[in-house]
Amino acid sequence: MSNQKKRNFQIEAFKHRVVVDPKYADKTWKILEHAIDEIYNHNASGLSFEELYRNAYNMVLHKFGERLYTGLVTTMTAHLKEISNSIEAAQGDMFLEELNRKWNDHNKALQMIRDILMYMDRTYIPSNQKTPVHELGLNLWRDNIIHFIKIQMRLLNTLLELVKKERTGEVINRGLMRNIIKMLMDLGSSVYQEDFEKPFLEVSAEFYRGESQKFIECCDCGEYLKKAERRLNEEIERVTHYLDAKSEAKITNVVEKEMIANHMLRLVHMENSGLVNMLLDDKYEDLGRMYNLFRRVPNGLSTIRDVMTSHLRETGKQLVTDPERLKDPVEFVQRLLDEKDKDDSIISLAFNNDKTFQNALNSSFEYFINLNARSPEFISLFVDDKLRKGLKDVSEEDVEIILDKVMMLFRYLQEKDVFEKYYKQHLAKRLLSGKTVSDDAERSLIVKLKTECGYQFTSKLEGMFTDMRTSQDTMQGFYAKYPELVDGPTLVVQVLTTGSWPTQPSATCNLPAEMSALCEKFRSYYLGTHTGRRLSWQTNMGTADIKATFGKGQKHELNVSTYQMCVLMLFNNADRLSYKEIEQATEIPASDLKRCLQSMACVKGKNVLRKEPMSKDIGEDDAFFVNDKFTSKFYKVKIGTVVAQKESEPEKQETRQRVEEDRKPQIEAAIVRIMKSRRVLDHNNIITEVTKQLQSRFLANPTEIKKRIESLIERDFLERDANDRKLYRYLA
Amino acid sequence: MPPRSSSKKKTVPANAGSTDDHSSASSKAKTKKDQIDQLFDSYANSSIQMIDPEGIEALCSDLGVDYTDVRILMFAWKLKAEKQGYFTLDEWRTGLKALGVNTLSELKKALPELESEVRTPPNFADFYSFAFRYCLTEEKQKTVDIESICELLNLVLGSQFQPQVDLLIQYLKFQSDYKVITLDQWMNFLRFCNEISFPDLGNYDSTAAWPLILDYFVEWVKQKA
Repeated sequence: MSNQKKRNFQIEAFKHRVVVDPKYADKTWKILEHAIDEIYNHNASGLSFEELYRNAYNMVLHKFGERLYTGLVTTMTAHLKEISNSIEAAQGDMFLEELNRKWNDHNKALQMIRDILMYMDRTYIPSNQKTPVHELGLNLWRDNIIHFIKIQMRLLNTLLELVKKERTGEVINRGLMRNIIKMLMDLGSSVYQEDFEKPFLEVSAEFYRGESQKFIECCDCGEYLKKAERRLNEEIERVTHYLDAKSEAKITNVVEKEMIANHMLRLVHMENSGLVNMLLDDKYEDLGRMYNLFRRVPNGLSTIRDVMTSHLRETGKQLVTDPERLKDPVEFVQRLLDEKDKDDSIISLAFNNDKTFQNALNSSFEYFINLNARSPEFISLFVDDKLRKGLKDVSEEDVEIILDKVMMLFRYLQEKDVFEKYYKQHLAKRLLSGKTVSDDAERSLIVKLKTECGYQFTSKLEGMFTDMRTSQDTMQGFYAKYPELVDGPTLVVQVLTTGSWPTQPSATCNLPAEMSALCEKFRSYYLGTHTGRRLSWQTNMGTADIKATFGKGQKHELNVSTYQMCVLMLFNNADRLSYKEIEQATEIPASDLKRCLQSMACVKGKNVLRKEPMSKDIGEDDAFFVNDKFTSKFYKVKIGTVVAQKESEPEKQETRQRVEEDRKPQIEAAIVRIMKSRRVLDHNNIITEVTKQLQSRFLANPTEIKKRIESLIERDFLERDANDRKLYRYLA
Repeated sequence: MPPRSSSKKKTVPANAGSTDDHSSASSKAKTKKDQIDQLFDSYANSSIQMIDPEGIEALCSDLGVDYTDVRILMFAWKLKAEKQGYFTLDEWRTGLKALGVNTLSELKKALPELESEVRTPPNFADFYSFAFRYCLTEEKQKTVDIESICELLNLVLGSQFQPQVDLLIQYLKFQSDYKVITLDQWMNFLRFCNEISFPDLGNYDSTAAWPLILDYFVEWVKQKA
């Protein structure tokens, strides 16, 4: 064994026969070329894939890759040229069909060729940076067919013509279109865009430009929008059926621009059918359509919003300044609520609850409600009416709904303190006359006001309710202590805490003897339990129920004011009384006395007194008698005059003055508060800060703020800075 | 009796050095002070130890200046006088020393210089403010009535801002919102004259920190035009 040389095993690669044949490349190529021809002639079935593959493989292996590649290019190009001729020769409708067919053929051929040349595809091509076979095939198709002069334009025109046909209502072969378009897409996005999409968009723009012009001349706004919407949907559908998905945004842009953006203003302002008309007629569908279309274009929604806002402001302004409407405050407010409801519906049903539109609505309402200085008063009167009778038999939920709507209007008021003043007055009257329909409703509204404006706004109002309750307890205690009084006239006293109730000047009045004794007894009872307090009778705010028997025996119960009671009781001791005698005996102030006599002598159905002369006005020398012939179908007759009414001009002035007076300390308090924390502040900033702080109650007038600042300077709360006269300094 | 030949003159022993100067200086000072005090006494009302309005009147006529001339007001300012119509001895001394004068003729000569001193801007503002406060005769008084203000305006600002002053006085007499003027308002009159172009009032901004009375004034002027 020692003689044997040890040999390592070697496995050698199987060496092919060395090719000696110089014409090897040509021969092999010829085989492959022939195969390609056959493939293009639909004769591929007779070919051996394995053999062809091997040939291609060998060529590449023996470094003939280049020959193979260039050969491929040449052959394929030649075939494509032939194909282009045949396509070009196709007539009319056959053109696209032929193109489509040849394209399919080409793809199939390309597939086979690629398979055969796969080795080259994987080795020679990448290492020599050549275009891969498949891509090459597409490029050649593109260059020789699509960009062939005789085909290029014709192809484009044919496609565009078909689209136009479809747009005018004809049915076209969508499948064919899809295939052709897909072909273009497969050839590369630049081919699709340059050879189809760009011209398509241009032609479409022109088409829609013309169409929109035509429509806008003959259609009204609603119809036009319908048509525009239809066209838009059509185009979207078209894209899904046979165009590249990326084209959707582009074509919709074209439609939006030509049909909507270019005609926006004309549509919105179209007479008799434009936006304003739609709003007036509650055309929810049309409005919704307009909203959906316009939101697609720049400034579309803002255009709608602006027109809507100016319309609202105009409408609102007319509502609040129309003298007819101002005669009935309740009607006035109801109209405002109706308008708000209408607009809310439009925004929710047609404008998609768009917040910007909601804001526009709010700002418009705020604008015009405050144009009328009596809005706060009227809203309070509306509430008063509802709480007196309007809410009778209304369910609790509906009550809440109505009150919430009123609160919305309240929020728009700039002078909330004026509202507070009137509300207090009206509430006082309601409470004292016992005329409120629902205590719960009253309280619910107070809670809402508190939530909106804070504790201070409602603390006095709540005080009023407390007083009513306490008074009830006091009365119970009074009658418990003096049970013998039950036989006499029944006294009901409401003790009002001065700060909480609206200030009324208390007037003189002589009560009838029975009443004044009773009142005195109450006074001493009350002061007995509450030392340190002072009671003053408010005879101008009370009521009385009197049982009366008239001449023919008719009995009635009369519900009258305290003043009226004083007058009537006089007739227990006299048949005839002159004005002067009545005035002397009762000591009621003249204007009040005249009013109260008028309501008892001059009003039909309530004329428990007779007056001579029978004139409407009360003269100093008039004489009064009990009207023995008085009749009424009701046993209980109400003659009182304590209902809340729209204020007369002088009363309005007075209230306004009181409001202005109340504002002064509030402004000063705000100034001091701000200066105390900031120490030094310039003029403009003080104005801004003060206005902001007082915003929730009223709109502060810069001139008034200036006055208050000067007053504070005089009283040494503030001083002007020595160097910069625009600055104010807080003096501790 | 033989006449006394030489009068016995008491001579101050000549001491050396500073003591001599000091005493002579102090005697000179004493003389100057005496002069000022003497001048004071010549006008003062001895029962109250102050120069009273009568005295001031006399002083004015000696100075050749009218009683209502603005220069007397300036003089009062220099003296830092507190009570209108009266000068105390301390005030008198302070003032004359500040002016650097001792005699009446010196005082007379110093008046024009005093005037130009007052008219320089920082002093003028101080003087202007003094003029108002000088009118507050009652204790705790903080405002001056319209009539007096009008006169004061003319006196103090007339020479410099005659057209504005005339118009302002016209307005003050015409309006009825304000019966008196506060120091704050008074100071702003000066500022108004200095800053606002006249007669167009073009650069007046009513939303700025001007007192309300001037807002109304400007409105009134514009309405007249």
